[in-house]
Amino acid sequence: MSTIRSRSPKGVGVMRRFFVRSRGDSPFQRTLIHIALIIACVIAVYPALRILTVSLRPLNILMSTSLAIIPQGATLKNFATVFAQTDFVRWIWNSLIITLSTAIVGVIIASTSAYAFSRWSFPGRTGALVFLLATQMIPAAMLMIPLYILSARLGIINSWRGLVIAYSVQAVPFSIWILKGYYDTVPYELEQAAMIDGASRMGSFYRIILPLSTPALAIVFLFNFMQAWNDFLLARIMLQKSELLTWPLGLQTMQGQFQTQWGNFSAAALMISIPVMILFFFSSRWLVSGLTLGSVKG
Amino acid sequence: MHSLTTDIVLRSLGQVGSTVLAILAGVIVLETAIYLIFGKLLKHRHTLPIMLLAPAAIGLLALIVYPIIYEVVLSFSNMSLFTFRNPKFGLMYAERNFGDVFTQPVLKLVHFLPVFLRTVLWTTIQVTFHVTFGMILALLLNRPMKLRGLYRTLLIVPWAIPQVVAVLAWRGEFQFEYGFLNIVLRDIGLHGIEWKSSPFWNFVAINITNIWLGVPFMMVILLGGLQSIDKTYYEAAEMDGAGPWRRFRDVTLPLINPVLTPAVILGVIWTTNNFNVPYFINEYNLESSEILVTALFRAAFDYSRFGFSAAFAIVIFLILLIFAVIYIRFSGLESVMGRSVQKPVPAGIGRKTATRSPKGPRGEVRT
Amino acid sequence: MKKVLLVLSLFLLATFAAFATGSQEPKAAGPVSLSMWTQESENENSYQYVQSLIAGYVKDHPTVAIHLLQKGTEALRQDFLTASLAGQAPDFLWTVSDHAGPFTAAGVIQPVGKLFDLSKYVASAVDAVRLDGQEWGVPISNGNELMLLYNKSLVPTPPQNTDELIKMGRALTKDGVYGLVFNQVEPFWLVPWLGGFGGKVFADDGTTPTLNTPQMVSTLQFLYDLKYKYQIIPKESDYAAMDSLFKTGKAAMIINGDWSLGEYQKLLGDMLGVARIPKVSATGLWPAPYTSGKFFMLSKDLAGDKLAVVKDFVNWATDKDNQLTMVKDLARLPALKVALSDPLITSDPILKGAAEQMTVGTPMPIVVQMRAVWDAMKPEMNAVLSSSESPAAAAAKMQQAAVTGIQNMH
Repeated sequence: MSTIRSRSPKGVGVMRRFFVRSRGDSPFQRTLIHIALIIACVIAVYPALRILTVSLRPLNILMSTSLAIIPQGATLKNFATVFAQTDFVRWIWNSLIITLSTAIVGVIIASTSAYAFSRWSFPGRTGALVFLLATQMIPAAMLMIPLYILSARLGIINSWRGLVIAYSVQAVPFSIWILKGYYDTVPYELEQAAMIDGASRMGSFYRIILPLSTPALAIVFLFNFMQAWNDFLLARIMLQKSELLTWPLGLQTMQGQFQTQWGNFSAAALMISIPVMILFFFSSRWLVSGLTLGSVKG
Repeated sequence: MHSLTTDIVLRSLGQVGSTVLAILAGVIVLETAIYLIFGKLLKHRHTLPIMLLAPAAIGLLALIVYPIIYEVVLSFSNMSLFTFRNPKFGLMYAERNFGDVFTQPVLKLVHFLPVFLRTVLWTTIQVTFHVTFGMILALLLNRPMKLRGLYRTLLIVPWAIPQVVAVLAWRGEFQFEYGFLNIVLRDIGLHGIEWKSSPFWNFVAINITNIWLGVPFMMVILLGGLQSIDKTYYEAAEMDGAGPWRRFRDVTLPLINPVLTPAVILGVIWTTNNFNVPYFINEYNLESSEILVTALFRAAFDYSRFGFSAAFAIVIFLILLIFAVIYIRFSGLESVMGRSVQKPVPAGIGRKTATRSPKGPRGEVRT
Repeated sequence: MKKVLLVLSLFLLATFAAFATGSQEPKAAGPVSLSMWTQESENENSYQYVQSLIAGYVKDHPTVAIHLLQKGTEALRQDFLTASLAGQAPDFLWTVSDHAGPFTAAGVIQPVGKLFDLSKYVASAVDAVRLDGQEWGVPISNGNELMLLYNKSLVPTPPQNTDELIKMGRALTKDGVYGLVFNQVEPFWLVPWLGGFGGKVFADDGTTPTLNTPQMVSTLQFLYDLKYKYQIIPKESDYAAMDSLFKTGKAAMIINGDWSLGEYQKLLGDMLGVARIPKVSATGLWPAPYTSGKFFMLSKDLAGDKLAVVKDFVNWATDKDNQLTMVKDLARLPALKVALSDPLITSDPILKGAAEQMTVGTPMPIVVQMRAVWDAMKPEMNAVLSSSESPAAAAAKMQQAAVTGIQNMH
C-alpha cells in the first residue's frame, strides 16, 4: 500500500467526500443496509417490549403463550398497584438523590485526578495507572464483606453516608481513564497561553480545559450515574432500613419466597427504566464521540 | 407504605446533603494539609498533582485497598460457619485454603479447572461476538442516511435498560412454556428447548443474554472510532485502487486500533467479572453454568466458606492481573493507557506538530 | 489569603453543624427502638400481616418503635450473618425454621427455652427448632407442608394412591391440560415422595446424609416415569409455571403448600379441594412432606430493656386472638395449642385438609448440614427430570455432593 496523504484542503475534501460516499452506496445496497438495521433494532427492542407486555397483563392471566405486544385485556392496573401499594415512589426518590449527588462528586474527583495524570509526570504515575486498571479486575463479591465491616466500624451503616462515599469512588478509575485520554488530546499550549496571560495553573484548568471537555465530562457523568443507579450489591449490604431502600432493593422485595407478582414487578421495572433511558437518549449525541475522543485524534 | 411526604423529602435531602458537605469539608481539610505540608514546608515539586490526586487516592484506598488487605488476611484464616465468631489465623490455614482452591471442589462437585476453562470460553465467545456484531453495526451506521438517529437510539436500548431488569426479563423468556423463544420455536414446528435444565442450552442462554446486553456498548465505541477516521484516508485508498475489504483491513482496522484495544481489554475484564448474567440466568443452580465469580459468590455466601472464598477471590484477581501484565508487556503500555505525558512545547511550534503522535497509523515512525 | 481561610473555617463549622443535625435519625417516641427482619413478602400478603401486627402493638405501647425490614429468605440468611459479624444485627427475626441451623452454628442467635413458656405451643412446632437440646425460636405458625390441591371441576374425587393418580392423570392430560403439576426444580417437592418410598435424607444421628439409597433411586425413577412414561406432567415446570397452569385451569392437580391456599381459594372458591398427597401404591406409605413454620428468633446480643420488650411483643403476637387473625388472613395453621382446636379451623374444609396432611408430615431437618443436602439434591433431581442422568447415577452423585458440602462447611 503506497503512502497515504494525511491532510487535504478542506474545500476539496468536502467535494471529494460527497462524491466518494454517494458513489459507494447503490440503492440496492442501501435497502440491504436498512433491512439489516431494522432486523437489528427488532432484536434489540423486542425483549424490552415483552416487559411492557407482562406489565399490561391483567392479573388473572399470569403467563400466556400469546406473542402480542399489547395483551388481551390490557390494563394499567398493575402500574396503579405499584404506586399505591408499594414504596415505589420513595425508592425512586432515594435512588435519584443518591445517584445524582454521587455522580456529581465522582465527576469532580475524576476530572481533577485525570488532569494530574495527563499533565504531570511524577514518580509512581505508571504504577498508579496500572493500579487503576487493576481495580476493574476485582470481583465485586470480594469487596462486600470487608466494606460492610468497615462501614459498620465507621458508624456509617444504616444511613446513606457509606453508600454515597462508596458510589462516589467506585466509578472513579474508569472515569479517570476516559478523561485522561481526552485531556491528552488537548494541546498544552492552550494552558500555557492562559498562564502567560496571568492565569494560575488551576485557573487555566478551570477556564480552558473543563469547557473544552464537556463531551467527555458528560460521558463520565452518565457513567457514574448508571453505575450508582443500577447498583445492587453495595446497596444491599449497606442499607438495612426499609425507608432507605433504593430501587434495586425495592424491586427485590417484590419477589416473594415462592411467588412473584410478575405484572407488578414488570410495571415497576418498566417505570424504573424510563428515567435512565431518557437520560441516555439525551446524551446519546455525546455518547458516540465522547467515549472515543482522545484515542484516534492525531 | 411510606409515601413521599415533604418531611421525608427534606430529611433525605438533609442526609445526602450533609454527607456531600462532609466529603467536601474533608477534602478541604485534606487539601489544606497537603498544601501546607508539601507546598510550604517541603516545597515539593509535585504539590499540585498530589493535591489533585489526594481525594481519589484516599477514596480508592478505603474502597479497594482496605478490602483487598482484609481478604488477604481472611485467606489466612479458617473462618466458616462454625468458626464464625472465633476464626483462627495462621499460615497453615492459608496453605489449606489456597490448596483447596485448586484441589478440592470449589462448589459441590466441580473443580477449579473446569470453571476456569469455562470462564475463558465465556469471555472469548462474548468478546468475539461483541466486537464482531458491534463492528458490523457500526460500519452500517457510519454513513449519512435517513433514520440514522432513530436506529442508533433503538440499538442502544439493551444498554439503557438497567442490567438487573434486563437479566430478569430474559430469564423469564427462557421459561419453557411461556418464554417467547420457545413459543416462536413451537410456532415454526420445532420443539421447545429446555433452556434452564439442560447444561448445554443453559450456557447458550447465558451467552445469548450477554451478547444482547453487550453489543450496543461496543457498537457505540466503534462507531465513535470510525467517525473520527478522516475520510481522506478512504479516498486516498480508493484512488489507489483498494476495494472495500482492503480499505477495511488497511485503513479502518489500524486507525481504529487505539479505540478497539482498550475496549477489548475492558470487555475481557468486565466479562470475566460479570456476575449478574450467569448468576440469574442459571436459575436451577447448574454447576455446569458457573463461572469463576459466580462460584466465588456462592462459596462465600451460600456456603459461608469465608476463609476459602477469600483465597479464591485472590486467585481470580491474580489471574486477571497476570493477563493484563502479559498483554501490556506484549503491546506496550500506550495501547492501554493512552499516551504518556505531554511535555510542554516551547512557544512558536505549531499546534499540528504538537498533537501528532510520533507514530503513524500503522506504527511507522513519522519524521 | 486570610479572607479565604476565614471563609473556609466558617464553612467548615457550618458543615459540621449540618452534619451533626442531619445525623439525628427521627427518635422513637420513647426509650425503646427495636429492629426486626422478616422474610415474609408482600406477594403472599404475609408482609402486610406482620406490619399490621406491629402497628397494633405500637398503638398500645407508644414508647416502643419497631422498625421492620423485609429481605428475601436467602438474603436474610446471608445478611444476618454479615450483620452479626459487624455487630450490627437486628434485634430479632421472623423467619423460617431452617435458618436456625446456620445461625446456631455461627452462634448468632440465643436459645429461648428459658425466656418463654413453650408448652403452650404445639409440640411438633417446638420440636422443629430444637437443636443440641435447646430451643432456638418461638413458633408463630405451623405447617408449610405440601399437599395435593385439585380443581374439583376437573377432579371430582382426589386419588387415594399413586396408581389412581396415574390413571386419572392420563385421562386428564390432553389438549394442553396436564393431569398433575408440581415444582420440578426444588427438591422440597421431592422429599414427600422420598418419604412415601420409605427413605430419609439423614441417618438416625440427624447429620449424616443417606441419599444414595434404593429408596431415593425409586423416588427418582417414579418422578422420571411421571414425565416420560406416563406423561402426566409438563416438560419443564418451575414454581411460576405450575402456579400459572393451575390458576388458568390448565392443570387438574397441583402439589403446593399452605401459603398458596389463600390465592387459590380466591380464584377457585368451592372448586378447590385439598387432600393428602396420594399413598405410594408400591409401598403403601403416605408421602411425608416436610412441616416447618415461621418462628421468632432472637439475636444473641439482645438483652436488657430491649429483650423485655421483645418478650412482651412475642407473647402478644402469638396470643389466641392474633393467632386466629392469622388463620383468617393467611390460611396458615397456628402454633398455639388453644388456637388449633378452635372451631374456625375444624369447620373449614381447606384448613382441615391441611391439618390432615400435616399429621403424616415429618418435621423438616434444620441442622446446618441440611443446606448441603438441599444443594446436593437440586441439580440431580433436575438432571433426572431432564433425562440427562439415570436415577442410580443421580443418587450416587447426590450423596457425594452432600458429603463434600458438609466437609466444606468446617
